[in-house]
Amino acid sequence: MASNQHADDVTTYAATVRAQLADLPATERDALLEDLEQHLAEVVAEGEGSLADRLGPAEGYAAELRAAYGAAQPSAPAAQTNGEHLVDSVRAAAARIIAADWVRQIAAFLPDLRPAWWVLRGYLAALILTAAFSVGYSLGPIPDPITKRGLAEILAMGIAIWLSVRLGRRSLNLRQGVRVLAVSANVLIALVAIGVLGQMHTFTYNYSDVTGNATQQAPFNAAFAAGPTTNIYPYSQDGKPLTNILLYDQDGQPITVEQSEAQTSYPNGADGRAITNAYPLTQRHLNGDPVVAPRVAFPPWPTPSPSPSTTSSPSATSSPTPNPSPTR
Amino acid sequence: MSQAEVDTTQLLKGVLDLAVLAVLADADSYGYDVVRRLRENGLDHVGDASVYGTLRRLYQAGALNSYVVPSEEGPDRKYYGLNNRGRKALDQSAQTWASLSNALNHLLNGRINGHGK
Repeated sequence: MASNQHADDVTTYAATVRAQLADLPATERDALLEDLEQHLAEVVAEGEGSLADRLGPAEGYAAELRAAYGAAQPSAPAAQTNGEHLVDSVRAAAARIIAADWVRQIAAFLPDLRPAWWVLRGYLAALILTAAFSVGYSLGPIPDPITKRGLAEILAMGIAIWLSVRLGRRSLNLRQGVRVLAVSANVLIALVAIGVLGQMHTFTYNYSDVTGNATQQAPFNAAFAAGPTTNIYPYSQDGKPLTNILLYDQDGQPITVEQSEAQTSYPNGADGRAITNAYPLTQRHLNGDPVVAPRVAFPPWPTPSPSPSTTSSPSATSSPTPNPSPTR
Repeated sequence: MSQAEVDTTQLLKGVLDLAVLAVLADADSYGYDVVRRLRENGLDHVGDASVYGTLRRLYQAGALNSYVVPSEEGPDRKYYGLNNRGRKALDQSAQTWASLSNALNHLLNGRINGHGK
């Protein structure tokens, strides 16, 4: 019974001391506190009374420990090599930085951010898995919830985040060796995720948030900034998708687009030659799935439209003044 | 804590390394035993945390080796002992201390034995 009480006393006292010294750099703290429990157990075994009665409050003990250990008095001045001097001066510089107010403040709130990292870590892990299984797909940071695939990705992300948080909550008291492994795994996830995120250059521009204010619409050129045009999807004015639209430039040359990683199959004409400017092109991803049309937001036409030949300005005021030149 | 105790604590800090090395030069020992032996030798105010912190620092500096000894009546004990570097450090620090204490004794000549303050 008494030994149980002793063990509890040691655990509680040591935990308080550790908490007080939480701001020390990990290597230093580990070196200092490695046998704290063992030492306290020795103390408690040889005498009467609780640790707090015999050693004073744990906070004071921690302060004394900090002073005794951090006194940074080279214990063996003459025996030191140049290398050790260097290590010492680096340690001293590090100690000064660590003692700085702003570093202390950051170090104080970093532990609060741990759960945020667990969530992010789950998301990133799912993202890495998604990337590994979707070679040939364009990958976005957020899954598209209107496809089955996107729903599966969202589900996977939910599960990954749940697992990650669960893991995180259990990992607060790891042994030294396991902790190094765990930290390495975290760094690995972060690095791979940075690589995956770097690959995401195919963002789809979404204009839907500016509908209703035609003058603020982003210029069409913005689409080029997002990457080369690899297909063209023509629509009629009322939003119906058109097929087999032949496009020619001002010189009468067929307009073709950049090759993407998707496979394009061109229709053959009666003369056996491929027709390369009939849009939209029929394309397949490398894994065989057909490339589907993107979701688009149509521009708001001025209403009511007086005649099908719309040469009026796109401003919604619908002024009757005829405009001789079509504004484009 | 009285003024005398504060003074002792401050003065002790500088020479605790030397005191701990000296105790371990007699015989290998574990943390709480080092505290007890220091106190038996008249260093009444030495704190357990100071000794434990000093032991860990000397160990990290490579002046001590350590090993665990199972104990029959209590928990295992972590013993510390001097290695070559520790002995060298003790010899040098002892010389430094001898000349320092000579100088101070000389400076304080006549004030010791209650004439000061």
